[in-house]
Amino acid sequence: MERSLFRYIWRHSRRDQLVIFAVVLASLPFYYWSLDLPKRIVNEAIQGGAFKSGKTSTTFFEISFDLPGFLGGRHVELFHGLDVGQLGLLFGLSSLFLFFVLINGAFKYWINVAKGALGERMLRRLRFDLFAITLRFQPETLRTVKSSETATMIKDEVEPVGGFIGDALVAPMLLGSQALTAMAFILMQNLWLGIIAGSIVAVQFTVIPRMRRIQLRLGKQRQLLSRRLAGKVGEVVDGLEAVHVHDATAWEKADMGQRLYELFDLRFRIYKWKFLVKFLNNLLAQITPFFFYAVGGYFALKGTLDIGQLVAVIAAYRDLPPPLKELIDWDQQRLDVQIKYDQVVQQFSPDRLFPTEMFEPAEEAPHLTGPVKAEDLQITDAHGTPILEHLSFEQQLPVHLALVGDGTLAASAVARVLARRITDYRGRILYGGQDLSRIPESVIGRRLAYAGPDPVLFPGSLRDNLIYGLRRQPKSGGDADSAAERIRRSEALRTGNPLPTPGAEWVDFAAVGVSDEEELDQYLINILSMVGLHDTLFRFGLLGRVDPHRYPELAERLIEARHQLRDQMADAGVAHLVETFDIDRYNTQATIGENLLFGVPLGQPFKGRGLAANPVVRKVLDAGRLTPDLLRIGARIATTMSEIFRDLPPGHPLFEQFSFIAADELDEYDEIVRRWTVRGEAGLVGDDRSRLIALPLDYIEPRHRLGMLDDGLRERMLQARHAFHEALEDSIWKGMVEFYDDQAVCGAAPLRDNLLFGRAAYNVADAQPRVTAMMTTLIDELGLRLDVERVGLDYQIGPAGRLLSQPQRAAVYLGRCLAKQPDVLILDGVFSAFGDTQIKPMLEAIVERFRDRSIVAVLRREDQADPRHFEMLVRFEGTQPHIVRGGRAGANGQSEPDDQDGQERGGAEREPAIVGNRI
Amino acid sequence: MTLETEVQTLRLVPMFKDIDAARLKLLAFTSERVNFAPDQRFFSQGDAGDAAYVILDGVAHVLLETPNGQLKVAEFGRNDLVGEMAVLAETPRSATVTAQGEVIALRIDKHVFIELLSQFPQMAIAVMRELAKRLERTNARLARQ
Repeated sequence: MERSLFRYIWRHSRRDQLVIFAVVLASLPFYYWSLDLPKRIVNEAIQGGAFKSGKTSTTFFEISFDLPGFLGGRHVELFHGLDVGQLGLLFGLSSLFLFFVLINGAFKYWINVAKGALGERMLRRLRFDLFAITLRFQPETLRTVKSSETATMIKDEVEPVGGFIGDALVAPMLLGSQALTAMAFILMQNLWLGIIAGSIVAVQFTVIPRMRRIQLRLGKQRQLLSRRLAGKVGEVVDGLEAVHVHDATAWEKADMGQRLYELFDLRFRIYKWKFLVKFLNNLLAQITPFFFYAVGGYFALKGTLDIGQLVAVIAAYRDLPPPLKELIDWDQQRLDVQIKYDQVVQQFSPDRLFPTEMFEPAEEAPHLTGPVKAEDLQITDAHGTPILEHLSFEQQLPVHLALVGDGTLAASAVARVLARRITDYRGRILYGGQDLSRIPESVIGRRLAYAGPDPVLFPGSLRDNLIYGLRRQPKSGGDADSAAERIRRSEALRTGNPLPTPGAEWVDFAAVGVSDEEELDQYLINILSMVGLHDTLFRFGLLGRVDPHRYPELAERLIEARHQLRDQMADAGVAHLVETFDIDRYNTQATIGENLLFGVPLGQPFKGRGLAANPVVRKVLDAGRLTPDLLRIGARIATTMSEIFRDLPPGHPLFEQFSFIAADELDEYDEIVRRWTVRGEAGLVGDDRSRLIALPLDYIEPRHRLGMLDDGLRERMLQARHAFHEALEDSIWKGMVEFYDDQAVCGAAPLRDNLLFGRAAYNVADAQPRVTAMMTTLIDELGLRLDVERVGLDYQIGPAGRLLSQPQRAAVYLGRCLAKQPDVLILDGVFSAFGDTQIKPMLEAIVERFRDRSIVAVLRREDQADPRHFEMLVRFEGTQPHIVRGGRAGANGQSEPDDQDGQERGGAEREPAIVGNRI
Repeated sequence: MTLETEVQTLRLVPMFKDIDAARLKLLAFTSERVNFAPDQRFFSQGDAGDAAYVILDGVAHVLLETPNGQLKVAEFGRNDLVGEMAVLAETPRSATVTAQGEVIALRIDKHVFIELLSQFPQMAIAVMRELAKRLERTNARLARQ
């Protein structure tokens, strides 16, 4: 990026700036005329200058000009004008003045909009440029760059810079030319008045910015001094003991007194400057009219200046200070913004950026073939401590290479170097004869995959995360013909932003041998099975919502499946596992709120506390005389929660999982219950009532077992349900609750609920797993498993995969690496999230699948590196690598001799199969 | 039967008898009351231990899976704690437990139980004390043999 802000601005917005400047120039004549007109109004119309020699009418609005001599010097009259009287002339000229005012306004509007657009475009470009630089950070840079700092820089700190860019060149041009025009006008009226105005402006323009700069510098000093003062106070307070022990109070007081004096002195100087500047400004602004009246009046009396001119000069002078003031402000802003820009540029110019050529987009990426070669590889950490010393090997790809560490960083560091996650090393790594540091990202990113110990996941669906490595080049780029798309594209071009949108078709189906989304999903499901997430995926599918457009077959057959499941359960004699939804029965396994709604809310007004506060609901509850009951139950729940959760620390998992009331609300609820106990409903104020009612709405008798429901209450709830349905139809929230219907799919409810169409019983042992098992069997029978799993791929994993467990996160992260089918798969610590029993099958499945591709695996123990799977093995002891098998040693190789190796490690590795793998 | 009566029952379990009422209520509230049908399994020998049970009503058999079929080795009745060893020791279930007739039990989830123990030392000590007592009894029995 350019070091100088103005060079950056000039380079990227030259054209726009010039266009705006041209318009500014075009606006000046109109501005001049609007200054000139008052003179004519006063002189010709009001004072009757045009009617001097007894004329009663004059021509107005005559448009004519004289051709220059070489064209014949003829007088050309375009419009011979109108004959008007004095009054007519006055109104005509005044209307003309109004017209120019409007034109000037229109110019100003256009220029402001163009400036704004220019600034916004430059802001967009600046932000994008900074983001693009962020993407070029080398791994080592990330150690010193804080993500939050980078984010705020891109978001907040460049904003004033962008705002200034629109003004950067235009403002001085516009304001300067306006000021100049006004000055020129005054000069043309009267030389002396012009000189007076000009000299005062010159004083204003040279002295005031300087004084302001001094004021700013003093301000900065004050900041520094105040900070030191605070530091001193802190020091004294911390060292108060020493102060007393050594009786140093007098000295400290003197020190403080001196500091306070310095601060006072500085602050006082700032005040003096500040008001001096103000005084000068005011004086200069007001002294000019004095000259105008005195000198202008003198000329008028002498007859060298007419009254109209004097009025016009005064009017023009009125227009002079605002642009000047803005110019001075602009100058200050420029200094400010340049400092900000310098800081940003500094932050985004770490020495270690990948060269831009590395990110050239490429249609095709060559495969990594040939030998992989390490030439005297040495790695040190950021402080120069050696991590690895002298590793050399050469091995034909594909290879299965095991790196076994002894708890030090060496094995992992080698894996990272091979994956280009460490770029600061000595020696060379070559893939097929090409230096790793020169291979473009399009090749490394497609042909190499690195799975490290910390899963990196992005918010979005499971699918989004898995196909992250398959998004390479978009194939189609939206509807190019639509007007909105054309505007979007031209804006992207103007700001150096990329043309494709994330909504385009990015996924490279062919790269993994599939042809459409369904096949891709099938492929991803296979990958997830490899990393042990098959059952989890199915479970996610059951929790997901079925979009009938995406999964039409599943949606169509849901009702059929629902009825079959019910029949099967009845046949197996386990119908009691589920309590089916029935519009005419209270569902004891569902919450009171669910029973009232008998459906799924589509919006906040019917969810959680919103439900308890909803006027429709409250009206229905009041009409059904349910409010006192719910308040009673609510108070009881609040008391119980307060009793049993009070001793748990806030944020404890049990709180989240079981409590009706959040930790920080316990006290408030205690207070509400106390008021309710003492004064009854009259004691409830504000939203107390809805807060209390919200509690029982989540209550399920067989689950929470507080013994709060009886048949009478259930019956009345049922009546309230019907009443609610009627009331909702007539309310503004009509359609905000999707009611349950045995013959229809409820789009807002999860797949599982749609299949069950009821609630699994809380009071029957193992009801949930048994129901799930039956559901699973049925889904398999109906051949819907793939669809359910595809719904599972839609599962949102939350920011950084927070909605997944630790092993699940690692599995998805690993799955992403597998999904892109790299030539070289580097597994570095990704297995640390799994137990030994999980690792073995996973590793075997991966090795099997990558039979013709390369794997570099960092393993904890040598016995995990089965010689049948890993033909090459490097063991690390401290910083020393030992090539146990495979990898012809290079010049500085530390490879152990074959025989010795064999003797040390026993017979197994002397098998010809392993020796044969060497090249 | 409500939460209150369950707390009364928990108090009769030796492992829980020294624990505060509020804590027992928390234990009860975070547990599930479940009904077992006759012959329904609580769990099978070799399963991972995911929960412990307190029998509120009914009788359960403890069965050992042997090569010659199931062998009944013990019986649990009201107020007995079942399956806590697998939960505490993270070992597979050492036997199969089935309901003789209808059984009502309080199911204490493993994770919740461990959370409670790590949060409240008093509960952990009560559990330790009970385990130590059992060990002592076993030692005494071995010494007699």
